[in-house]
Amino acid sequence: MNKPDLSVKIAGLHLRNPVMPASGCFGFGREYAAYYPLNLLGAVVTKAVTLKPRLGNPTPRVTETSAGMLNAIGLANPGVEHVVAHELPWLAEQDVPVIVNVAGETKDEYVEVVRIISQSGLASAVELNVSCPNVKAGGITFGTDAQILQDLVQTVRKVCTIPLFVKLSPNVTDIRQLALAAQAGGADGLTLINTLIGMQIDIRRRRAVLANRTGGLSGPAVKPVAVRMVYEVAKVVDIPVIGMGGICSGADAVEFIMAGASAVMVGTANFTNPRACPQIIAEIEQFTLEQGINSIAEIRGCIA
Amino acid sequence: MKLTVANTAQLARQTWQLTFTGDFPYSSVQPGQFVMIRIGSGTEHVLRRPISIAAVSETSLTLVFRVVGEGTRWLSDRRPGDRLDVLGPLGNGFPLPPAGAQVLILGGGIGAPPLYLLAERVKPAAQQLDIVLGFQTATDCFWADRFASLGHLVLAADDGSLGTQGTVIDALIGLSPQGRQWDYIYACGPLPMLKAVKQYFAGQEVQGYVSLEERMACGVGACYGCVCRTADHTAAKRICADGPVFAWNEVAL
Repeated sequence: MNKPDLSVKIAGLHLRNPVMPASGCFGFGREYAAYYPLNLLGAVVTKAVTLKPRLGNPTPRVTETSAGMLNAIGLANPGVEHVVAHELPWLAEQDVPVIVNVAGETKDEYVEVVRIISQSGLASAVELNVSCPNVKAGGITFGTDAQILQDLVQTVRKVCTIPLFVKLSPNVTDIRQLALAAQAGGADGLTLINTLIGMQIDIRRRRAVLANRTGGLSGPAVKPVAVRMVYEVAKVVDIPVIGMGGICSGADAVEFIMAGASAVMVGTANFTNPRACPQIIAEIEQFTLEQGINSIAEIRGCIA
Repeated sequence: MKLTVANTAQLARQTWQLTFTGDFPYSSVQPGQFVMIRIGSGTEHVLRRPISIAAVSETSLTLVFRVVGEGTRWLSDRRPGDRLDVLGPLGNGFPLPPAGAQVLILGGGIGAPPLYLLAERVKPAAQQLDIVLGFQTATDCFWADRFASLGHLVLAADDGSLGTQGTVIDALIGLSPQGRQWDYIYACGPLPMLKAVKQYFAGQEVQGYVSLEERMACGVGACYGCVCRTADHTAAKRICADGPVFAWNEVAL
């Protein structure tokens, strides 16, 4: 029997398969390269990169919840200069497309970081992070107002010579309005969902478990919300959608694809199982064989 | 990798021992390293639990942990023959002292287990090995006989039910009149204890190492969930991947 073709083409990127790690769950790839060759992945997505180094939030930064976890890392990263000099050259040698997640506190900061990443020649695409719930300035404020988002994307688009994805927040009244704004601003694709803002309280100590008090909820608990949002967004935009939120298995990934996603990202599952991504790829392949599916495009968005 | 539970035992109040057998790089284990254990299928409990390695043989791995929540409760309910997904050994262990060193090991509560493997490795070449272990109460104490077989053991309990009444520091003060001088000091326990130990030896020419603990997600250095600050507060260190053992001058406690 022929091996099914899992390859996908999204916004000019050729991916071997539709599975990639979600930003923030995979560092800059080195740690997981100890578990499998990164070129098994559709792409690698880096941790958020900002203009200046960021130390991030105080600890505790992570805690488990029912079928999920909360995190409030706070965009800790070594800054764009260090990333371009020390992380991207290594990643560029791994024979896999590299999507660099970019965050900022101001429009100028986003523009500057995107310009540097784009000009470095070391990245295949940029993912604009306008949805981090764990930083005070910037981030989510760009991702919750359609007008501000469209303006940001439009401005960043001018300095971005590689495909530009915009990562959307689920913490809005109608995610379709933000998706349309990003599209209007010139995004080549959308990634969704970022985490849902949540909170956990230690009732014996009478205080929030996370030092930041609130954090972003991820993991299997959010999957139905994420599938619904991918379904809604894919119906109204013309650009490709990459879906994520609680994907732990090939079956989970197929749900997102059937909801309209062209590819998927895997986040929390990397923590449960460091080999989660290759396992999910194998399970998708198995499913397509079982079902006689010849390409991912055949089932994409098949839910009316 | 999947390991098989060989035996389990309750050692003290809320404190359990689990011994595993199966395919694992036992000979590479350094004292202070840890493993991450998947809880159930990993769907309800998405985060593995980090547990330090207390002892290792050529064919087995022994962990000692405290039941603090649902995940560790599940671990304490395992029975011989159960197969668990164990990731490791992870992190960097304690650097061993040179031959002839005068060594002091300080453990607070559930910080003691990794110090057992350390004491085992230190003992053959050390000139002097003092071990101070502190617990809240006598019913929390475990492995005192095993530690006592490796060095001069001093115990302390906050409520006076065991050894010196008070903390590890109180017991340490009790040792000083005996003219003890140490050149390598290793500590693992609650953060206030580690701070007090570092402060106690401030200005003295000693090599001090601490093992830190924090809530972890990935355990391999990718998520930046468990971090501490460098001593000058200018950078972060990942406890899982850069530690969990640090020279105490290197990090802000």
